[in-house]
Amino acid sequence: MTPLVELRNATKDFRGIKAFSDVNFSLMPGEIHAVLGENGAGKSTLTKVMAGVHTLSEGELLIDGKPERLETPSAALAKGIAMVYQENSLVPSMTVAQNIYLGHEKTFNRLRGIYIAAQQFLQSLSFHVDPTALVSSLGAAQKQMVEIARAVHQQARVIIFDEPTASLTPEEKRYFFQLIRNLKKNGVTIIFISHALEEALELADTITVLRDGELVASQPASSLDRNGIIRLMVGRELSGEIYADTTETRKIRPLGRKILSVENLSMGGLVRNSSFSVYEGQVTGMFGLVGSGRTEMMKVVAGVIKRDFFHGGQVRLFGRPIRYRVPAPAIRDGIVYVTEERKQEGFFETMSIAENIHIGQVVKNRGGGFQVMSMNSAREAADTWRNRLNIRAINPDAKVIELSGGNQQKVVIAKALIQKPRLVIFDEPTRGVDVGAIAEIHAFIKQLADDGIGVVVISSYLPEVLAISDRILIARQGKIVEEMEAGTATEESIMYAAVH
Amino acid sequence: MSLMRPIKQGLARVLGGDGDYSVTVPVMDGPLKPNDVIEATGRVAQIPGGANIAEIDGTLVASRGPDLLTVSASGEAAPRGTYDADITALAVSDRGAIALGLSGRGVVIENPDGTRRHVDSAGDRALNCVTALAFLPDGALAITNGSADFAPEAWFHDLMHHGASGVVAVLDPGADTATLIATGLRYPSGICPIDGSADRLAVSEAWRHRLVEISRTGRKVVGDLTEELPLYPSRIVPLRDGGYALCNLSVRSQLIEFVLRERRYLRRMIRDVPPEFWIAPALSSKHSFKEPLQAGGVIRLGIHKPWAPTRSYGAIVGLTPDFHPAWSAHSRADGHRHGVTSLVQTSQGLVALAQGNGDLFAISETGAPLAQAEDTAKDAS
Repeated sequence: MTPLVELRNATKDFRGIKAFSDVNFSLMPGEIHAVLGENGAGKSTLTKVMAGVHTLSEGELLIDGKPERLETPSAALAKGIAMVYQENSLVPSMTVAQNIYLGHEKTFNRLRGIYIAAQQFLQSLSFHVDPTALVSSLGAAQKQMVEIARAVHQQARVIIFDEPTASLTPEEKRYFFQLIRNLKKNGVTIIFISHALEEALELADTITVLRDGELVASQPASSLDRNGIIRLMVGRELSGEIYADTTETRKIRPLGRKILSVENLSMGGLVRNSSFSVYEGQVTGMFGLVGSGRTEMMKVVAGVIKRDFFHGGQVRLFGRPIRYRVPAPAIRDGIVYVTEERKQEGFFETMSIAENIHIGQVVKNRGGGFQVMSMNSAREAADTWRNRLNIRAINPDAKVIELSGGNQQKVVIAKALIQKPRLVIFDEPTRGVDVGAIAEIHAFIKQLADDGIGVVVISSYLPEVLAISDRILIARQGKIVEEMEAGTATEESIMYAAVH
Repeated sequence: MSLMRPIKQGLARVLGGDGDYSVTVPVMDGPLKPNDVIEATGRVAQIPGGANIAEIDGTLVASRGPDLLTVSASGEAAPRGTYDADITALAVSDRGAIALGLSGRGVVIENPDGTRRHVDSAGDRALNCVTALAFLPDGALAITNGSADFAPEAWFHDLMHHGASGVVAVLDPGADTATLIATGLRYPSGICPIDGSADRLAVSEAWRHRLVEISRTGRKVVGDLTEELPLYPSRIVPLRDGGYALCNLSVRSQLIEFVLRERRYLRRMIRDVPPEFWIAPALSSKHSFKEPLQAGGVIRLGIHKPWAPTRSYGAIVGLTPDFHPAWSAHSRADGHRHGVTSLVQTSQGLVALAQGNGDLFAISETGAPLAQAEDTAKDAS
């Protein structure tokens, strides 16, 4: 049988960074195909190539056995391939019905007619969503339903779902699974990306596992079990080359004083009754899949976002209850958060290295009155940090935008550390950073812990978590579900705790 | 300021906001991470109804009601003496004197030469609820009296009545009466000298979940040593190689914290419900289907989940010389060695008594099990 969609020796790179390489992938007609892998394994990019969002750098895309080049999502849709994205792609100011019919409107539209048709269509899918409601008024699960309904409405032959169940309740998931099975019965082929292995095992006919941008397995779901999939997802033989400082070769730092105590913390639906502690003189690694709430937990601690006003739990810093509405008081109390979104939140890209680092100091010392700023002292402080962190730039006054990713990240770190923190929270500190800079950043993080500072490192990359953590916290569904000693934790055990 | 404080407190109470009204419980992680050490370790003896243990000349002694028993190396218990009331605390001095707290009767000290002293008050306070005793390096006896209103057997009544009438007293050698050195404590239930000092005392304040330093000469609480424990701390025992071992009455739970803040509910519960079925901590539980927190046990296929909410719990916490938790040994919700309130360091390790089922067991000085229990506590129950 000819595969409906096929990728041959497919490679996709973004300015030299490979999202996936040399992948051979076949999608057979009428099958449900699960694509699994860690964060950053290349799952979304692979499916986006099939949906016309990205084009291949190398290799071939074949549809019905014929080579095709899908330049746009509409070109993919014309070939019968639709994608339901992880990030919402609905127009919030339009109604549910208008979103479903967007791009397929008749010349003369009668709104009432669209609503009636949408109502019938949504009912046929067992989705209880009001077609006249504005999308901006819907919850995450209902938005997801509208996304799914839109893809089904486009009568696609292939529907790609990226993390379709992440925001659905168990009841909604049941409906969704039934919908998938119904679509299959009607001859629609499904690809879905998921972190929930049980869903893949329950629904899929074929499971493909990606790891570090390479396809490591593509086989019938019946031949795999949960543990086997986890092994395939995390089994990096090459990981030791970059993260050679594994727990077997290094000494775990002893616990110091308890710096931070988070008790029953809640924040919206993302953090649910979560409790954990952080100790001085240790690197506390925090691992969790996307949506596990780990970043939000630490953002609440650092005052970037606020916890729930009603029964939001309690956060204590050195035993003292704290509640920050903005980051400034947290910084003054010694808590700094090094963001994962460095380009949006980490620095001012048109300002120089010295100016960016100096801003950190200004925030720390912000008082009620006027402050006299000396650019000479700012440059001196920046020079100290440039040397400490080995920030490489053509000249000291170079703008941050001109630096490489690794050096930009070092500026963000310097800006945080000039504030003399007692607790530093690194969120994905090495994301988009070259290998050399990764080693330098890791060495610096370890040095901070050796100096007695409390360090939290949030990371989606298991070898990184294992290489630098003394203690590992694992987040799932908005709470810390497991604590592991770095000496006994393995990639498999961490992943097992993160998905079960 | 003076007006804002009650307004803020009122808002916090209504909205479940900050501070005490957030009804949160510190997490047991890091050195307090739960394990099954207490359940897994070997049994030294079994003394159902036992309440306290001590070591006299290398021999273990235990109290059961008004009786003092000698526990042989093989685990046999033999009577050593009987007293007027239930023995609530025990201490042995380097010189061989034995101090016994007697329920409602104060403290009796028996010297090796056969002389006997009885003290039943400290200042104007009756020593009706002696919870812990410790001999100090200068021969004085430090006494904690948990509550002015309740006997030691009714310890959880004091918690549910928001008791804050505990005192610490010191009986100097040769003195006729004890001297009060701290009052207004919320159930002091453990005491020991800090760094072998006769002036600096570590006291566990159970209802405030903390250990405090009390200055004997200054007659005041100096400050916190360890705070926000997820347990109700009890006896503190200095270890020979430095550090301390802390026993605990039970574990805190959000439900109990919540009930403690709901005054009207609390009053009705105390009035209408038998004490054994109160939503309150206990030294042992799972005796009746009427007990609260049964549904939280999540018993499926005969398996009681160890992480389930529970009224009773067994925990020993090892503390560093500066009173930071270093290790812990646990008997979790599915265990039976709950209510570990008495501990003594012997040549065999740390021997502790679980009041929940009367087991005497031993663990190492670093909180490791010493031997696999051949006959587990579960069999015994």
